[in-house]
Amino acid sequence: MKSISHKKVFLLLLIATNIFYSCKKDPPVTTIKAPTPYNFVIPKGFPTNVNIPANNPLTVEGVKLGHYLYYDDRLSGRADEGKGLSCSSCHKQINSFENGTGKGIGVMGIETDNVMLPHINLAWNPGTFAWNGGASSIEEDIYGAITLQSEFASTWEKVVAALSAVPEYPAMFEAAFGTKVISKELIAKAIGQFVRSMVSSDSKLDKVLRGEYNFTNSERNGMVLFTTESGADCFHCHGQPSNPLMTTNLFYNNAKDSSFNGIGDRYSVTGNHNDIGAYKAPTLRNVELTGPYMHDGRFKTLDEVINFYSEGLVYSEYAHPLMHKVRPPYGHGAALNPQQKADLKAFLLCLTDTSYIHNPNYAKIHL
Amino acid sequence: MKKLFFTLILAATYLSLTFVSCKKTVVNNDPTTGKLQINFQNYVDGSPAIFDTMIYINAAGNHYLVSDVQYFISDVTLYKHGGNSTMIKGWVDYHYIDSQIPSSLVWNVYDDINIGDYDSLAFHFGISSDKNITGMFVNFPEKDMSWPDVIGGGYHYMKLNGKWLDVNNIKAGFGFHLGIGQNYDSLGNVILPFIDNSFRVSLPSSSFTISGGVTTNINIRMNFEKWFKEPNIYDLNYWGGGIMQNQGAQKVAAENGWNVFSFSK
Repeated sequence: MKSISHKKVFLLLLIATNIFYSCKKDPPVTTIKAPTPYNFVIPKGFPTNVNIPANNPLTVEGVKLGHYLYYDDRLSGRADEGKGLSCSSCHKQINSFENGTGKGIGVMGIETDNVMLPHINLAWNPGTFAWNGGASSIEEDIYGAITLQSEFASTWEKVVAALSAVPEYPAMFEAAFGTKVISKELIAKAIGQFVRSMVSSDSKLDKVLRGEYNFTNSERNGMVLFTTESGADCFHCHGQPSNPLMTTNLFYNNAKDSSFNGIGDRYSVTGNHNDIGAYKAPTLRNVELTGPYMHDGRFKTLDEVINFYSEGLVYSEYAHPLMHKVRPPYGHGAALNPQQKADLKAFLLCLTDTSYIHNPNYAKIHL
Repeated sequence: MKKLFFTLILAATYLSLTFVSCKKTVVNNDPTTGKLQINFQNYVDGSPAIFDTMIYINAAGNHYLVSDVQYFISDVTLYKHGGNSTMIKGWVDYHYIDSQIPSSLVWNVYDDINIGDYDSLAFHFGISSDKNITGMFVNFPEKDMSWPDVIGGGYHYMKLNGKWLDVNNIKAGFGFHLGIGQNYDSLGNVILPFIDNSFRVSLPSSSFTISGGVTTNINIRMNFEKWFKEPNIYDLNYWGGGIMQNQGAQKVAAENGWNVFSFSK
């Protein structure tokens, strides 16, 4: 009996030891509430694949924080020097979050290489941000913007210090990310969340797709010109009703020039000669509001853009094959007549989404 | 003894729960089926295509280069020795090939394929009209293949982009884009119905064997020069850069497509 008892005790001890060491200690009870998942709604006809990084999912608290940061000119870290700047200084809601004037001018008075691109439907960007696709994420773009002399011309140390001094922010960071400690990464993540939450899907074209509006004859004719090769042939690069993003998010040399300096073009990223003079085909959503046009803002109006594609294409061996209407000595574009130009413009105006530029969820806000 | 027995049972149960909770991966080698991997290749004049270089001359004497190609094949059918046939379905019954997306050049077919000797393989070039419906592809890159509704809708069968030296010695762009065709009246209005230009490709000498539990590799090769060769000489100077609304060119291309593809193991 004695030996049996020992064995029993030994086994019980073995089990107890095993249980003791195999069970993890419960973490200390915390009062930090997990952020609330953000309900990102994919509009009808839009791709279901969205580019939301796994390490930065949208949350209600994160989007809200990003919204405040987007409009906060202390984001430059130099507001105390009279050099405050925020994302919204150049990306204005009334211009579909573009500046509507051309190249941006940073706190040092230096111009950006290219004109602004609008912040619109960027949750569907495949990871090629900026005119040349040089930034793989919104967060990466923000990292660069803070230090660029033509933009914030600051340092992350200054930015973090400036935002940490704002009494409300630590609690907002804690609500969004579980820590009151503000960092470069979390600032970029919050702004990234807000920018990804910005969705435009209520233009006349969207309403047509939803059966809520019928094109006028002129608008319909313009759509036909937009979507036919023998017409203006815009759709190969800028999408069509079945691609309501109105961009392929790809890069093309669209026959603007005969020689190229390579500054800021796709070639500067890939080193591929076929990308010389190539820039992103930007979305045409809200194109009415986002002039001047082309990467360098050379065209002030939509009429100038239409004239360019009609009779102003410039030959170079780097023009994209899809620009097959540039064939000197005869071919310089789509050769549209005045009525066709008016119709094409009428269709382009159907891409304006006024609810986007007045959406209170994206409007100016401050602490 | 009873107590000892109880204790041992307790210990055994605990140890069982501790160790048996780890899953074991069971390999199921079904000896009656195998897998198929199809590799897509791009060739010109018997050699792997060199893109973006003006080194090729087509049957019409046009100097040309190819920049990129995207196309669909669908309804892939395997014909077994003895007469039975199997259509690959998997998750979908089409495959998208894009020279700029390496992963698209390898198709690991989802289906379990019955073992045996197969005499030949056939597929649809593009997507047949009954399945070629606007909106069926929600996401990119397939979404970028949309063929505008006003000229027939659905999706391009193929985009073959490149340049050729035209009569003025200009490097002119061409979009050899194939899809649903149209007829037009004298005013330029579309006369319905639209025309299905997709076609069936039966690959010659395409026998292969599927073995149990093994993945069989086969290659489907597109030979670019043959689009321009037979039975019709396709002259880029004649047809020009864009042919989406030129049923004459679409017809010629579809007729030339019969021997564009070849097979190897």
